[in-house]
Amino acid sequence: MVKQQIDERKLDILKELANIGFGNAVTSLSQMLHEEKISMDVPSAELVYLQDVPELLGGAELPVAGVYIESHGGADLTILFVLSLDSSTNLILTLVPGLAGLNDQMGISVLIEVGNIMTNSYLNALSFMTGLLLIPSPPEIAVDMSGAIISTVIAEKCVLEDEVVLIKTTLKSMQKSIEGHILILPDNRALNTIFTLLGIR
Amino acid sequence: MEKLMIKVKISDLAILKGEGVLVTVGLGSCVGIALYDPESKIGGLAHILLPDSTQFKSSLNSFNPAKFADTAIPLLMEKMGKAGANRFSLKAKIAGGGQLFAFQKLGSSIGMKNVQAVKYYLNKYKIPIRGEDVGGFQGRTMRLYVNSGRVVINTVGGTEKIL
Repeated sequence: MVKQQIDERKLDILKELANIGFGNAVTSLSQMLHEEKISMDVPSAELVYLQDVPELLGGAELPVAGVYIESHGGADLTILFVLSLDSSTNLILTLVPGLAGLNDQMGISVLIEVGNIMTNSYLNALSFMTGLLLIPSPPEIAVDMSGAIISTVIAEKCVLEDEVVLIKTTLKSMQKSIEGHILILPDNRALNTIFTLLGIR
Repeated sequence: MEKLMIKVKISDLAILKGEGVLVTVGLGSCVGIALYDPESKIGGLAHILLPDSTQFKSSLNSFNPAKFADTAIPLLMEKMGKAGANRFSLKAKIAGGGQLFAFQKLGSSIGMKNVQAVKYYLNKYKIPIRGEDVGGFQGRTMRLYVNSGRVVINTVGGTEKIL
């Protein structure tokens, strides 16, 4: 079903929206990290097989921290901000020196808040471009294998199709060695809403 | 070391005979179902994502039976049977169905529903469960060694568990 509705042109538009939205998220991260320079890859928007999604972040067994937020209202999006354990620790310590990284409840809180702020910058930009009202859910965090986190998110969303649209980018900070991914899984209705608003058939 | 390793992806299944290991990585709320026939040394492993296909089948134009508990179990039994396994000597070991995110602790999570569905269908097909490592708040990796039927579970930062 997805396949018939999504073509290269539409994927390009999603990529461009992501470029602006993720750009905003990365800018807010850079501001939080005291103007640390952060580079972001050109976002990709692809139709991927569900089976391959858990492997997309460098191995399903890799331990990571994932902050998960959903948007409701005008369009349902699933947003996941994923960091390796080392990057999580570096990020937490840069913001609040003296914490015990992920072993500290405060450290976990810091990471959730960073995910929250980045996601909201992204949603703000998307909302501005489309005119949609996007209401984020409270952020959630899990520290586990990347495959387990991603597959749980997919299961919670009850994704029935065998292929999903996945929008993602990789970001890297210059000095503090923080490397992460932002993933967006829009549902079919959200895609239709966005394309209709932009006047694309 | 094992000679052969077959990776079972999410919403996928595979069987193996005699030697080697079937492995599925990153079971979150998903459930891994290992079926084993000790006589023929045929093992099968499925990695299901959702509990029930019945309400969705008609709305899909492609249907993957390995994705759902109710359709993956009979498909795995059928494949093992064709490979020479005795349907009546099959034993099951299951793992997964965890709740990784805090919001899932409210009410019944998809992980719990998956575990319930898997147990229901194993019981329906009269396959005894000989070991389980389900629920909790962690993701798991599951390995089935087909020469012995041994199942090994790993978690992030946890100790190895043998079923």
